[in-house]
Amino acid sequence: MVELDTLQPFFADKQELLDEILGRYPEYGRRSALMPLLWEVQRAERHINDARVEEIAEIVGVHPTEVRGVMSFYSTYHDHPVGRFHLQVCSTLSCSLAGSDELYDHLVEELGIVNGETDGDGYFSLQKVECVGSCTTAPVLQVNDTYYERLSKSRCRQLIASLREGELPEPWHARGGDADAKGGEEQ
Amino acid sequence: MSDTVAFDSQRITSRKDPRFEVVMYRHVGVEGAWTLDYYLGHGGYSAARKALTEMTPEEVVQTTIDAGLRGRGGAGFPTGVKWSFMPRPDGRQRFILCNADESEPGSCKDRYVMQDDPHQLIEGMIIGGYAIGATKGIIYIRGEYYQAYERLRAAIGEARERGYLGKGLFGTEFEFDLILHRGAGAYICGEETALMNSFEGLRANPRLKPPFPAQAGVYGLPTTINNVTSLASVVHIINRGADWFSAMGTDDSKGFHHIQLSGTVNRPGIYEVPMGITFREIIYDLGGGPSIPAKAFIPGGTSCPLFPFTDEFLDTPMEYAAVAKKGSMLGTGGLIVIPEEKCIVDAMYNIVRFYAHESCGKCTPCREGVATWMPQIYRKLLEGLGTPHDVQLIEDLAGKIKGTAFCPLADACVVPVQASLKYFREEYDYLAHHGHSKYQKSDWWQE
Amino acid sequence: MKVTVNGVELELKEGTSVIDAVFAAGYDVPYFCSQEYMSPIGACRMCLAKVGAPRKDRASGEWILDEETGKPKIFYFPNLMATCTTTVMEGMVVDTLSEDVVEAQNSMVEFTLINHPLDCPVCDKGGACELQDRAYEYGTGLSRFEFDKRHQEKHAALSELITLDRERCIHCKRCVRYFEEVPGDEVLDFINRGGHTFIGTEGEGLPSNFTGNITDICPVGALLDTTSRFRGRNWEYDHTNTTSMDDASGSALVVDARTGRIERIKSGLNPEVNKTWIDDGTRFGHEYVDAADRIRTPLVRRDGKLTPATWQEAAQFIAERLRGLAGKEVGIALRADSTLEEGVGAKALAAQLGDGKVDHYPRPAASLLDGANRATLEDLAHADAILVVGDPTEEVPIVDLRIKDALKGVSSPELFPHGVPIADLRLKERMPRRTEILTVLAPYRTDLMKYAGSSHVYEAGAEETIFSALQSGNEPQGFEEGFAAQLQQRLAGAKKAVIVYGGNVLASQGASNALLGFARRVGARTMPLPAMANSVGLELTGVLPSHVRYSYPEAVGTELRALIVSNLNPAADSRLVQRLQELELLVVHTMFEDETTHIADVVLPAKSVYERDGTIVNLEGRILPVRSAPVDGGLSEDFTGVVKRLGEALGQRMEGRSIRSARRALKKSLELDLDNLPDEGVLVPFKARARGVSVRQAAAGEGNLLLVPSMIRHEYLSRNPHLLAAHGETPLRLHPDDADRFGVSHGDVVTLPVGGVIRRAVVRVTPGAPVGVPLLASLPDQPAGLVQANFAELRKERLALEVA
Repeated sequence: MVELDTLQPFFADKQELLDEILGRYPEYGRRSALMPLLWEVQRAERHINDARVEEIAEIVGVHPTEVRGVMSFYSTYHDHPVGRFHLQVCSTLSCSLAGSDELYDHLVEELGIVNGETDGDGYFSLQKVECVGSCTTAPVLQVNDTYYERLSKSRCRQLIASLREGELPEPWHARGGDADAKGGEEQ
Repeated sequence: MSDTVAFDSQRITSRKDPRFEVVMYRHVGVEGAWTLDYYLGHGGYSAARKALTEMTPEEVVQTTIDAGLRGRGGAGFPTGVKWSFMPRPDGRQRFILCNADESEPGSCKDRYVMQDDPHQLIEGMIIGGYAIGATKGIIYIRGEYYQAYERLRAAIGEARERGYLGKGLFGTEFEFDLILHRGAGAYICGEETALMNSFEGLRANPRLKPPFPAQAGVYGLPTTINNVTSLASVVHIINRGADWFSAMGTDDSKGFHHIQLSGTVNRPGIYEVPMGITFREIIYDLGGGPSIPAKAFIPGGTSCPLFPFTDEFLDTPMEYAAVAKKGSMLGTGGLIVIPEEKCIVDAMYNIVRFYAHESCGKCTPCREGVATWMPQIYRKLLEGLGTPHDVQLIEDLAGKIKGTAFCPLADACVVPVQASLKYFREEYDYLAHHGHSKYQKSDWWQE
Repeated sequence: MKVTVNGVELELKEGTSVIDAVFAAGYDVPYFCSQEYMSPIGACRMCLAKVGAPRKDRASGEWILDEETGKPKIFYFPNLMATCTTTVMEGMVVDTLSEDVVEAQNSMVEFTLINHPLDCPVCDKGGACELQDRAYEYGTGLSRFEFDKRHQEKHAALSELITLDRERCIHCKRCVRYFEEVPGDEVLDFINRGGHTFIGTEGEGLPSNFTGNITDICPVGALLDTTSRFRGRNWEYDHTNTTSMDDASGSALVVDARTGRIERIKSGLNPEVNKTWIDDGTRFGHEYVDAADRIRTPLVRRDGKLTPATWQEAAQFIAERLRGLAGKEVGIALRADSTLEEGVGAKALAAQLGDGKVDHYPRPAASLLDGANRATLEDLAHADAILVVGDPTEEVPIVDLRIKDALKGVSSPELFPHGVPIADLRLKERMPRRTEILTVLAPYRTDLMKYAGSSHVYEAGAEETIFSALQSGNEPQGFEEGFAAQLQQRLAGAKKAVIVYGGNVLASQGASNALLGFARRVGARTMPLPAMANSVGLELTGVLPSHVRYSYPEAVGTELRALIVSNLNPAADSRLVQRLQELELLVVHTMFEDETTHIADVVLPAKSVYERDGTIVNLEGRILPVRSAPVDGGLSEDFTGVVKRLGEALGQRMEGRSIRSARRALKKSLELDLDNLPDEGVLVPFKARARGVSVRQAAAGEGNLLLVPSMIRHEYLSRNPHLLAAHGETPLRLHPDDADRFGVSHGDVVTLPVGGVIRRAVVRVTPGAPVGVPLLASLPDQPAGLVQANFAELRKERLALEVA
């Protein structure tokens, strides 16, 4: 608690950003800014702690309970920090049929952590998630905000190696069907 | 358009029909297609210009009705008719709200449009806004779609800068701007009233209807909600006319749709297809057929009851009515092929688990039945601890949950369960009697 | 609209919910989430029924007929409908008895119970539990759920006053909705989602003034009143339906007592007064009644020491001393929450003694009966423009809630034979509030200002100046440009404007007159907020001195030679002590030892407000019954008992020697049979009752400390352990500048002479306090208003722990 109390308010030096976010919504809809504000904090701090919840409540003009109620409703806001690389394995049907169960087992073995855990260094977090909307390019692994689609065994090995180097590689673009890379200007 | 003589009397119902042309997904996958310059270079914003400068809002609505466009978000309600429900303008702010919270397992058609061709959606929203007299549009995009969010954000910025959003569009009096709002992981936000609550910074529980969004939507103001590809379809309908659109498909279901083919097929992917195409053509001709022997397919996303992989169902045309007649739904067009070796109980557990995870907890049958009880019985069966009584219990609970919950999420869970029992009950019984699945599963993760 | 429920035909108003139609037809359906006076949400799915309606042919506009019967064909909805969220339609047919409905009810009960711990044998709600009843009535008695139930916290203290058992919660959302819809304080919400959803708060406690109501509306034993937790079973309690004496609202209460002790207080139903809500001060402020140090027997001072005596001995003692005195030399004063019957007794005693001086206290300078066009609470709840002057949240908290009703703009529901509508479909979750209709003026920041479209903090004591200006159409000093004009326009332009004003205005005759003048000017009804439960009644029935000189406590300083006070503590004011000591007789009728009992000749044990039978008149002029709960108060008596005993000793049979005799007198003056008052009371028109009132000298609007009203009775706070734990000791609220000036810090416990009374308080430094005018809770013996405090004599008793 003491540590949190001494923290600088997150938006204290970000007036411009705050104005931009609040400015997106009409005056009577100030509360709409709640989710974007949570996102800003989470992107910067990989989680949203109690002090931030209170700060956002103050900004939006509601009781902190309301912010907690909203935040806890959604599955992608975290109240505990996730690792530097948050590996989210989609485990819903299409991905499961494309081997996401095996992919998950592989990651467990490789990283030494299971669903919901972060490694001791705070480097990798592993989480099974429900459908992230990449069904035609299953299996998909979402690392932080980036989708790695059609993640085959070999691609997975490459990806983990890059992440270990501290690098988030460019995702590849094999999508299949009409969404597939058409390469340059086609008529 | 190619020569159409031979097909004049007949609607386009096959992708092989030479008259069929991919329009919405034409630029998806093209590097840089998300820029305004690219979009303008390929005829972008001509539909919006046409609508705003040459048509009245009523004409836009009528054209959309005439085209026979039905909502592509799952329910299939006619888009133009929905627009006509908006009350007369009374000076209050009104909104057009794009439901881009694409969350139905099996679906991903909206993501690529927003990611690679975001101006198409912006243009669709301008036209929709004009049609219903809304000067504000909202795009509620699911939180996981970060790249799509960033591309849309940039696109909106560009459009604003170059006068495609804001005041006096295309030299008219019409004013329109967009709010881009990011979700944070909740399937229930696909339900329109839950989405509105979420947008307002509330917990995303569905609201009571009536009042319907057209009467009291976002912030209690008149609102129309449309899916991403419904709005993007309007761009092409305005450009090419209602007749062009209704020349595709069947009497019941007109135009084109996007099949998102996944599961064990050789060429999974998103295919723009005319309505009325058969599932066989999709799975075999476009998807290259099952990669390993198949026993079932889900026609439109996991909330739609599955079909056995038999001729009867494969030859069913992809059409709202025909699919409904066979006991399922077209949904979002997320077609999932289920292989022989996937235990159907396990497949259903995967789906049940999904809905259990996504139940909002508002009403009793969903919170206790879907989110708590059902997955536990499935787990018990799959762990080899089940009895025939458990299979009966699943069947009974599914019947008790169906039609009693507050919103369609609970039905989305139990209706597929009922279908799986209808077609594959012996797999349940086998599991209950033997303690293990009838099928040995291979490694599906490709090298 | 014609509706048929299980074959019973009914004619119902448009907008009626189907669930009310079912009850109106004399049938029952189970429900958990619906709650009277709150929005229906259709969450629990218990009230499902088969519902159908005829349809009109689109082309012809005629009813589509059933070919067989020739009557309009009934089209049933494909699914069973939640009757609480469905509106009746012309010709609708409702079926709650068929097999599929019964099956659905059975399975909803089963679903509801799978995660419920069924710990009824140790649950306080057992025997009065909606879930228990409904499971019995509509369940099969069997469960097929064989997995572990959800385990959650069973003793979560939401606050010092409310304990939550998360396992018992059935997620009906009544409590969450209540906070948003009724007091408008969103301090409780669902956390997480789906099967993991639970009720919770962020931070400590429940910062709202009306938290206890959630324990009344919780359909299970999840939310419990901590003061009564594990104290008894429902069937062991004596339930007494009575009227609150905690403030002037006249709220309906149910007092639950067991083996002579009050265990809990719940809200009663009075649709036109408090609906089903009460504030926390009223609900939780009863523990003092059972305090160990309560005076339970008469005490007579012999050889300088108070010694226990019988009533007879005490009465004889008093009678002997009185015999030597002339009537005019005896003063009698009752606290303003005494009943009408006690008032009759006091007047009769005064008359018997020969023109004794009788009064009630606190009594403001201005009359509560002034102003012809009085507003009722219903008028307030339907107002379209409201001006509040003061702090009703603390003065009469129900007024705060009824103002919030007005902000919703939904009229009070019409009652059915089965009572308040179970599902009033006009009420919605998170309704927009018409905050613009509310303006709040007060000498400090009040809670109600948060809900007001406009508000202004004025300088304490400026009421007369402000309203004199407003009355003559001028802009009062210190207000924003145009404020007055706008206010006047809004009130004058409204159809149903109400001005609510409290003790700060009533403290000055000038201010009160000016405000009433302004009210006439803008055509607004008025609602003064009396200080105590029966202030209006005692004034109305003339428990007043014959001359302003004889007012209590001023008269103590003049020719009085004997004084009888009931539940008052004149000796708290050190300036009066010497004079009181010089009296030949000082009798105090009270519950606890205090400064006055220390010097009294006789101390008589008083009944608490919960032990009395009688009648009061609330702020609207509603005559309401007060009924005694079976509480063990030792030998205590109310003031009619004192009159009876003294009459016996004096050999006189006085009016008001008993409830019956008092009521005979009241029947003459009020033309009302008080023995047969309905629970919801009888509203009497004011102007017919108004009579000449002795007006107190206008109190000077001067002082350096403002005594402020409080919904918590600070005189009893130290004996109400749960309230004390929740709210802390009486606060002295200081602006940071003043805290610096007096060299005190937040949390210090100090003593301070305030108008002759040494007050003990804990320092609360808050920018919400006005600069230079610290705020301290008023007491019955120190009513609200400006007062002179001697800050030079401020003593620090305990220092707050310095936290780095």
